[in-house]
Amino acid sequence: MSRSSSPDARRRRPMAWQPWLLLVAVLGPLVIYPLARLLLLSLSGPHGPTLDVYLQFFRNPDMRNVLVSTLGLLAVSASLAALLGVALASLLFFRPFPGSHLLTRFLELFVAFPSFLVAFALIFIYGSQGALSIALQQLLHLQNAPLDFLFGFGGVVLAEVVFYAPVVVRPTLASLALLDLRLVEAAQSLGANRWRVARKVVLPLAWPGIAAGTLLCFLLTLNEFGILLVLGSARLETLPVAIYSAATVDLDLPSASVGAVVMLAMSLSLFALYRKLSQRQPGGMH
Amino acid sequence: MDRFPPLAVLTERSSRPRAAWPGRLGLALAALLGCWLFVVPVVVVALSSLATHWSGTILPEGLGLQWFRRLGDSDWQALYTSLEVGAVVATLGTVLGIWLALALEGRTRRGLGAVVDTVAMLPNGVPSVVLGLAVLIAYHKPPVDLSGSSLIVIMVQLALVLPFCYRSAAAALRPELKILREAAQSLGAPPAMVLWRVVLPQMRPAIRASLALGFALSLGELGATLTVYPPGFATVPIVVIGEVARGYYLPASALSLLLLLLSLVALLAIAARDRNADARGR
Repeated sequence: MSRSSSPDARRRRPMAWQPWLLLVAVLGPLVIYPLARLLLLSLSGPHGPTLDVYLQFFRNPDMRNVLVSTLGLLAVSASLAALLGVALASLLFFRPFPGSHLLTRFLELFVAFPSFLVAFALIFIYGSQGALSIALQQLLHLQNAPLDFLFGFGGVVLAEVVFYAPVVVRPTLASLALLDLRLVEAAQSLGANRWRVARKVVLPLAWPGIAAGTLLCFLLTLNEFGILLVLGSARLETLPVAIYSAATVDLDLPSASVGAVVMLAMSLSLFALYRKLSQRQPGGMH
Repeated sequence: MDRFPPLAVLTERSSRPRAAWPGRLGLALAALLGCWLFVVPVVVVALSSLATHWSGTILPEGLGLQWFRRLGDSDWQALYTSLEVGAVVATLGTVLGIWLALALEGRTRRGLGAVVDTVAMLPNGVPSVVLGLAVLIAYHKPPVDLSGSSLIVIMVQLALVLPFCYRSAAAALRPELKILREAAQSLGAPPAMVLWRVVLPQMRPAIRASLALGFALSLGELGATLTVYPPGFATVPIVVIGEVARGYYLPASALSLLLLLLSLVALLAIAARDRNADARGR
């Protein structure tokens, strides 16, 4: 598959048909055709193509509530996760502590851990009958278990922060590693205090990695499903769960497809932004 | 994400300004918080599956293997389905990922290459439920009806896993390794020989990572699988979710722990095989 770098050989690539074959035979049935059918179904009414379903979707107050709660959840969870991730990465980089190496390794593996299991595990800790709640009850001699926030907004935020903060740690650490530490030392020797160094030197230089990590965190949080299903389906209506129940419980594929296309538009905008941002960096992600 | 050096390498740097960050106590608290947030949930899954009872107490009560002994036929069936789907998805994903990486090497910036690259990475940006719904709509009735076969689960998971496999293969095709390929080719090696004797050995670590990641992601996938799975093809996450919804927490823990062990075994097996191959001098 190697190609010589002379411009002449570059022009007649022997394997130029391969991307076509991949596009038509592999990505066609796996990605393109299903998404095209989804879009088509969302646009088809009883009397041919129509946009009415979208108008109905956005006029429907229930749907608007679902949309607002989904976006509110996204804003709170992803911002907190990004802040925690950046703080954690700075701690691991600037002040390694005994065991920080192990914690870093562990965070690396955390990405392969299923999100619904995180949500499930939190029930044993923060649930009303969980370890922390009972510990507080015994400590403070309360009548009832004090914690009752897990199945709802608070619990979903907690689970999403725990699950997605590690996503931000990796790109932040990578861009901190590219930092020229002489600049930090110079700023310190010139008398800048730590916050000034962080704000004026570290943050501007490490910004590309932090921005990419934060954007990825927003994208993955928006696309999250398992945590919402385990902790959110009782008291909190969100778009992914609404799509899922319209499709599999009500067996109403057309209305599920409208919600799905709205969701898809939001996700793909974030995805396009993320790709643009990370392609601009030399060591960036795909 | 795979283009970055491993995190462990990044934190090993020794010369670092001792910035006046929070003092010792603050540091210890931060370290504890990190462990509490990230390590404890994983430990809890393991611990709860071994407990006789854990509700309304701080620590689990009565350790034992009873929940594992009580696993029923449907649980074992789900484990078998997960294993089977995971193996197929990881293998197909790795093969297609390598093919994509080789076919698109050096041409992802513009033209057709950029389009194929974007479409291959697209599932990374699509919510799993939405992709599941799209696949369900496309293949639930004639002309192509896959609604009764495990093929629909494999297809939807393959689409979700492919970006990760493609990315790890593409990261392995570094320019400095290309010289070896060009040398082999200029010495007259046929393309198949170049592929088998030069390219694939070069990519061995990437193939390993791709198989492991594909398997682990497939085992843990929930949203898309839950939307498309045909009756009788429930994977472990689906069974676990069902048990959690009905309040059977401890049996769900036992099954989850087996799921986690399965991905751990796969990761270790792949690592061990490679170490043996290295010891033999390939």
